Amino acid sequence: MGRTLPSITQAFLQEQESFARFRRALRRSDQIALDDLFASARQHLAAAGYAAHALPFETFLLCMLLEEHKEVMRLRQHVEQLLARKE
Amino acid sequence: MIVTGWLLDVFTTEITNGVVLWLLGEDGQRYRFEHTFLVTFYVAGPPERLRALWRFLQSQPESVRLSRTERRDLFAGPMTVLAVEVSRPAVLPRLFQMVSQAFPDLTYYDADIHIALRYSAAHRVFPLALCQIEADENSEVKAIQALDTPWELDPAVPPLRILTIEPDTDPGHAAPAQLIVSYDRCRYSLPLESAQALIAGLRATLKRYDPDLLLTTWGDTWLLPLLQKLSKEQNWPLPLNREPVSSVIHRKEHSYFSYGQIIYRGRQVCLLGRWHIDRHNAMLWDDYGLDGVLEMARVTGLPVQDAARLSPGTGISSMQFLTALRQGILIPWHKHQAEHPKTAMELLRADMGGMIYQPIPGLHRDVAGIDFVSMYPGIMVRFNISPEVPRAQDDLTPAPGYPGLVPQTLAPLLKKRLEFKSALASLSRWDARYKPYQARASANKWLLVTCFGYLGYKNARFGRIEAHEAVTAYGREALLRAKEAAEELDFTVLHMYVDGLWVQRADCQTPRDFQELLEAIRQKTGLPIALDGIYRWIVFLPSKVDARLPVPNRYFGIFQNGTIKVRGIEARRHDTPPFIAETQMQILEILARAPDADHLPDCLPAVAMLVKKKIASLRAGRIPLEDLLVSQRLSRELQKYRTPSPAARAAIQLARVGKQTNPGQRVRFLLTRGRPGIHSWDLPKPPDPRTVDIERYEELLLRATQTFLEPLALSNKNCLF
Repeated sequence: MGRTLPSITQAFLQEQESFARFRRALRRSDQIALDDLFASARQHLAAAGYAAHALPFETFLLCMLLEEHKEVMRLRQHVEQLLARKE
Repeated sequence: MIVTGWLLDVFTTEITNGVVLWLLGEDGQRYRFEHTFLVTFYVAGPPERLRALWRFLQSQPESVRLSRTERRDLFAGPMTVLAVEVSRPAVLPRLFQMVSQAFPDLTYYDADIHIALRYSAAHRVFPLALCQIEADENSEVKAIQALDTPWELDPAVPPLRILTIEPDTDPGHAAPAQLIVSYDRCRYSLPLESAQALIAGLRATLKRYDPDLLLTTWGDTWLLPLLQKLSKEQNWPLPLNREPVSSVIHRKEHSYFSYGQIIYRGRQVCLLGRWHIDRHNAMLWDDYGLDGVLEMARVTGLPVQDAARLSPGTGISSMQFLTALRQGILIPWHKHQAEHPKTAMELLRADMGGMIYQPIPGLHRDVAGIDFVSMYPGIMVRFNISPEVPRAQDDLTPAPGYPGLVPQTLAPLLKKRLEFKSALASLSRWDARYKPYQARASANKWLLVTCFGYLGYKNARFGRIEAHEAVTAYGREALLRAKEAAEELDFTVLHMYVDGLWVQRADCQTPRDFQELLEAIRQKTGLPIALDGIYRWIVFLPSKVDARLPVPNRYFGIFQNGTIKVRGIEARRHDTPPFIAETQMQILEILARAPDADHLPDCLPAVAMLVKKKIASLRAGRIPLEDLLVSQRLSRELQKYRTPSPAARAAIQLARVGKQTNPGQRVRFLLTRGRPGIHSWDLPKPPDPRTVDIERYEELLLRATQTFLEPLALSNKNCLF
């Protein structure tokens, strides 16, 4: 409504759509992992919009990486706790 | 003669020289005055074209006075224009139409301003103002003076005489059999079958009671046109107007597109010297009622009948016109500021709305909802954002210079809104002032809300997209500063939505615990912020399509005082059948009884019982069919649907029996078994209750229940049902 540019959500959906052929050719188990990646990028749409980057997909990739790293940090902490308990 | 009273109406007619005023005197009498009033429009353009216009106007039969004068354009500054003064205001629209067609190349100002606004600007009065009028023996006004202002919280209320007329059923649904007429303590019905008795009865009532307000349902679209037709057939005039003229003002129906929605406005019938308000055609009537309409008229300067039917957008531009007229600023007939060219990068940064986060889905305890108070209008006033004022270098610093047209117009309105807000907070809900205050505050709120949109609207006379963008940019900046302030104080920010945020910290449970944060935000942004309330618990719902995705505006929660707040769930949607919406709210009321989130599972048996009872009544056919109606808006014309939606299918059913529906109109229907799966409610043949698709409704009900139970981790379908 009255916007010149697509909103960040629209941009996100377009990017996701553009990988439809890629996704189709993936194995079922990989498709689920890919969907997870997109879902994790979606959690940061507000920040991606505020960034107003000319190539939004770069921002989305960074969002995915961010969520992956959060997961790594969480797991690392978990492992360290487990190891500490063993000793 | 000197009379004090409330100004009911200002208008012109073909046979009067100036304007006609109707006044409700403090003595209870209704007075009619005339006031000589000259109106002027201005023209700018190349000198030789203006000379041609001068000659053209002098050859017209209507007497006009022409002069060269200097006026100020909001953007271009002072300029020399041709002033065309018309002695009879009623002539102006016709004359202007002729001129603008003959000289389309010239620029016109102040050409299409409502006569009531012109009068308001010239004499500093407004609809429903308490006025003192000095008049001669011919009721010609010598002097008029307002004794109050539109900004009073408690203006003296005029003792209005209200006559209510409504048919016994929705005329779009079935043919009504009688009209129910009520006023003061009288109430009677008039059968529609005898036109003669009907007209005679109404005529007598109108003459005897002489109402100030004719309050109807379906009056614009059905009742008044019908009464006029009957009165004509019977050859018996019906004094609908108080002004001694027989013709009323008709406006045609139309559909338009606004905020991503098609809106339908039915035709309108306005009266002279007396108001007609159709509850079904009045804008936002359900929201603020008569108190809100009168408030709207007082602050916008538009006559009550227009105020009742207008969109708040027209209201706010009227207020801007008043500011402009009073300061001698020209009001262009058409907007002529184009958008400045921007680079792609500038556009990318500027063309954004408010900041909307994705919340952390799930159940959260002891969450504070904090809101900036009237954020966008507050930004416009505080930082002097106006189309003609250049933007400050940094965000969240006031633009230098004298306040612009928009902040000037808004400042008193914003002040009044804040006064209403604090008055409401201190009043008990049972106080007699509470409801009218709330209605009037709501009218003010609508005006403030639309003002922001109007800055960016392509046809707004004083709009400019850059100013609109500045407001959202400041809004984003303020919200981010609020987030930073919260995180510095170790709060977790669960969600942010344009002008509000939801925060949580383990040791914060009472309003006092959040004061430090509020103060920090106030200091960092310069904008007023308030605690909306503390939720005992709140649930941010994930997307219905994919449970992994959070969605910004779907949540429900219970404040510490037990108040329920919901957004985006079925009960809030206009298309949800009342039966489903009502059940959902009842479930929430049960959940609200839990003293804290840990006790939510204790509510489960009560919820299960309620839902079981509801399903039993549904199956037994004990739910009235009206409560099962789905109500959806038609989004386009029927032939433009590729695959007709249920609403379109219902409209097709109606079209077959000759009932036309327009885009933007709501269609009500039942879900039925088999094809076409729906039964339009407004068909002449009533639906067979046995065809109602009980299973569909059960499914909707269970889904509506799951909306609550699933995220609360209470869902165990088997144990529940």
